[in-house]
Amino acid sequence: MAVIRELKKKDTGGKHEETTDLALFVRTSDEYISGWDRQRIVKALVRETYVEKEIAEKISQEVEDQIHNLRIKVLTAPLIRELVNAKLIEYGLEFARRMHTRLGVPLYDVDQLILHPNKENANVPHSPEATNLTLSEGIKKEYGLLTVFSQDVADVHMRGDIHLHDLGFVDRPYCSGQSLEYIKKFGLNLPNSIAQAKPAKHPEVLLAHMVKFAAALQSHFAGAIGWDAVNLFFAPYLVGKSDNEVKQLAQMLIFEFSQQAVARGGQAIFSDINLYFEVPKHFENVPAIGPKGEFTGKVYGDYLEEAQRFAWFIFDVYNEGDGIGRPFFFPKPLVHITEKFFQTPGYKEFLNHICSVAANKGNTYFVFDRGETAKISECCRLSFKLDEKDLSDAKEPWRMRYSALQNISLNLPRLGYLTKGDDAELFSKISELLEITVKAHLQKKDFIQKLLDLGERGPLALLAMKRDGTSYLKLDRASYLIGMVGLNELVKIHCGEELHESRRALKLGLRIIAYMKLITDKLREKHNMHFVLEQTPAESTAYRFAKLDLQYFPLQSSKVVKGELSKEEVYYTNSTYLNVGVPINPIERVRVEGLFHPLIEAGSLTHIWLGEQNPDKETLSDFVIKTFKNTTNDQIAFSPEFTSCNVCQRTSRGLNEKCFYCGSEEVEGITRITGYFTKTRSWNKGKLGELRDRYRNKNHFMDKN
Amino acid sequence: MGKVKVFWKMSCPKCKKAIDMGSLLKEEGFAVTDYNLDTFEGLAEASFYGVMSTPSIIIEDSQENLLASFPGDVPRLLDIREILAKT
Repeated sequence: MAVIRELKKKDTGGKHEETTDLALFVRTSDEYISGWDRQRIVKALVRETYVEKEIAEKISQEVEDQIHNLRIKVLTAPLIRELVNAKLIEYGLEFARRMHTRLGVPLYDVDQLILHPNKENANVPHSPEATNLTLSEGIKKEYGLLTVFSQDVADVHMRGDIHLHDLGFVDRPYCSGQSLEYIKKFGLNLPNSIAQAKPAKHPEVLLAHMVKFAAALQSHFAGAIGWDAVNLFFAPYLVGKSDNEVKQLAQMLIFEFSQQAVARGGQAIFSDINLYFEVPKHFENVPAIGPKGEFTGKVYGDYLEEAQRFAWFIFDVYNEGDGIGRPFFFPKPLVHITEKFFQTPGYKEFLNHICSVAANKGNTYFVFDRGETAKISECCRLSFKLDEKDLSDAKEPWRMRYSALQNISLNLPRLGYLTKGDDAELFSKISELLEITVKAHLQKKDFIQKLLDLGERGPLALLAMKRDGTSYLKLDRASYLIGMVGLNELVKIHCGEELHESRRALKLGLRIIAYMKLITDKLREKHNMHFVLEQTPAESTAYRFAKLDLQYFPLQSSKVVKGELSKEEVYYTNSTYLNVGVPINPIERVRVEGLFHPLIEAGSLTHIWLGEQNPDKETLSDFVIKTFKNTTNDQIAFSPEFTSCNVCQRTSRGLNEKCFYCGSEEVEGITRITGYFTKTRSWNKGKLGELRDRYRNKNHFMDKN
Repeated sequence: MGKVKVFWKMSCPKCKKAIDMGSLLKEEGFAVTDYNLDTFEGLAEASFYGVMSTPSIIIEDSQENLLASFPGDVPRLLDIREILAKT
């Protein structure tokens, strides 16, 4: 902040006028006070824009006169800049004005941010670190829209035709999935690190490396940090360890990830651990790495017992919950259900075990890898299917790492308002929107490439490091995600019925997504970039789109948006989901929603909201088996609700206003917001509207109580 | 009267046999529809039936109830005729 005050001696035709504004002193942005110097304006204009020096001189003179004539006693540097900007507009130099923009936040907004929590992402706590995050995000969002993306892309985002996710993290890729083998082999040897660690000798140290590496990665990615086959890759370190020791390690793993409130504004690391009950085929004959980063002389197929034991104890810990019985929010356990899973002795007991956790605490994600499919899952539902190159990398698993560079969602209901039931027009508009989405992806790619080109001295040093000869971020193999919000509402606008209401409506929904898939495939080929459809979590996007449409298309949208308009708790049904409030048998919901999943290559998920019910594990096991064998659904999760008491420190089932045990009103609700658990008080209004509407599948499952 | 739906792709070597069978059934007066999975209409229809491989053949009655499904397989003409005869 700069302040100009006091006095300037102005030559007025030979006379010296003594006034209170005769000399100017400027408190600069660099926190020192300097005298008024008109040349600073000139220099800034020449340096930051393309205007000629003569014009800059003229503008600076006019601004100086204006300041003098207005007799401004206290001036801020932003005000001087805005006065200059106004002049640039007067001169018709709008592009120069854009280049001369000052990014920042109004005083009032900073005050509000410091005092009130940010609800865009329910995972962000309210703390000074979180305020820093929100402030920097605000500036980087503006920066991204002004410089990373072209005006037309920025405009479609601002209008709400599309949503560029995580704009506040515009200088990072979106998310990352990797193998523990990287740190097992190379130790913790990161650019900019003040201490390097050799490969771990002990499992506890390996765990410490994993958590620290995850924290480092989290500060370079906007979204999730996923780990492949965690129980299997830990296994060589667990040989000869007692059950107590292995359980202790499982506890450390979960507590370390769930309590590390260090990343991105004091959030926990958004972490996913992929777990297998069998040894996946592509790892069976791979030489195993053990303590000190040395090959053990065995292959991973030899470590089935240790891997299973570790997985079992990990779920024991999930079942117990945290210190007061609440579910752990992170790391999210993703269990891969495969054909081989059902051929592995002991699978029934393990399935019952993880279903018990699903019923009691809701943690388990069931990821279905049918046929020969192999994948690594992360984030709320994102998964990377392993192609031939990936499976070749699997022979040296430290090479296995996947990332998505950016995530962009399409506002589908808006297309309905615009095309008014005309099929040809609708599909044409979808193509247009996909084209501009791809343009946005290309622009982000170019920007990240520019940062990566700065190598280990640049801002993305960690991602440019080449411990195995290849950059950690394999940009040429990155995915570019294209999501969709509100298919259900688009179908309703276009044909008068929601997805669940008729075969015709459902088929229309499938045609729309099939069309999106084929156009995306064509664009992938054209640009040789991996564009893929994903069910984006859209935690705040489903709310943002609904709000914007109520503003721009009030008559049409007020009949379509979900939630309570009077409370502004409005939302669109996310992605390809059926209406969340409709009482549909859960297996039917899983089946019907699963029809869309094969079209959405980068991941889908069906939620089964349980409310306060606690089904028995055998019922859920049966449900999981049926889902695997009889549907095309990619992934399911069961979501119970909890009330945690801040007074008696106990946790009860269901979302209640008072503590079940002590009656206190000092309680917090906990349930799954999109693809992760969090406290409901941090939810945005749209999600609160959805929470109220959720059908909780009462009486569909046999309750163990 | 029953309906036969044949799902195929350009790149699928076995699909020609399924398409030819569909043509034969059409000539015999049965209601047969082809769905090319390289088009979005075909892909959407295949998704509706959970078709994961090609060629696939689905037979429905006039009320669109599923009578038989042959995923990734070309059944014998005789078998299809038999199912359709019952509708």
